[in-house]
Amino acid sequence: MTTNTRTIQKPKPNFETKSWMFMRYSAILLIPLVFGHLILQDVIVGVHRIDLDYVAMRWASIGWRIYDALLLAFAFAHGVNGIRQVLNDFIHSDRGRKIMHWGLFLLWLIITAIGAIALIGGVRPIS
Amino acid sequence: MSNLKTTLTGYASYRGKEGHYSFILHRITGLGTALFLIIHILDTSFVYFFPDLYQHAISLYRSTLFGIAEVGLVFCVFFHGVNGLRVAFFDLIAPRLWSVPKQRFSTKITLLITLLMWVPASAIMLYNMLYHNFGWFGG
Repeated sequence: MTTNTRTIQKPKPNFETKSWMFMRYSAILLIPLVFGHLILQDVIVGVHRIDLDYVAMRWASIGWRIYDALLLAFAFAHGVNGIRQVLNDFIHSDRGRKIMHWGLFLLWLIITAIGAIALIGGVRPIS
Repeated sequence: MSNLKTTLTGYASYRGKEGHYSFILHRITGLGTALFLIIHILDTSFVYFFPDLYQHAISLYRSTLFGIAEVGLVFCVFFHGVNGLRVAFFDLIAPRLWSVPKQRFSTKITLLITLLMWVPASAIMLYNMLYHNFGWFGG
């Protein structure tokens, strides 16, 4: 008896495959980042002790700025891609999806740019 | 519009029990967190663009209504995170474990871990709110 073996070529990963992978890998990174941010800012410090001086003190350290930059980059990209995946369940036409994808991309770009400018510019004194 | 109805009817009528509920909850908590994240990036960017308005934004977050919403937000993030880790573990590390009994069991563990984190966190946040907004505990 002979056994025939055949090799199946793995399909090349397309955009949706990469986006699927990104959601899982960014999730692993976001667990310490987001849980840490929430436990520190909402539970330990609390919103009643957060003000302009607090942000200025926090951002005086380059380490916290890098931490917040990672949050901005990964959490928001993860969030917008998640919205895209949910909306793909509701919008089925090619045209509708194209409009939705570009709309979300622009939203991501603009909001990320605003956040990045603030993060780099830092706290400005009250005029 | 028919797409909206078809998809929502599917979400509601599919009887997948634990796996189905966890899918629905994952989507709701994710969308809620993403919506808040957009607002949160914008309000934090006020420290650079409109520093005199930042304090105004923060005083909104200190209100009782937002304090309660904050407790809800923390649940959303904790559940979405723990459940996301569960999904990532099964997908990336142990796809052979994707089975109905394992999924039923792991969704329950996910909820338990979420509650173990959320209940003490909420207690502290509610304490802070009662202390600052209502003068309880000598505040």
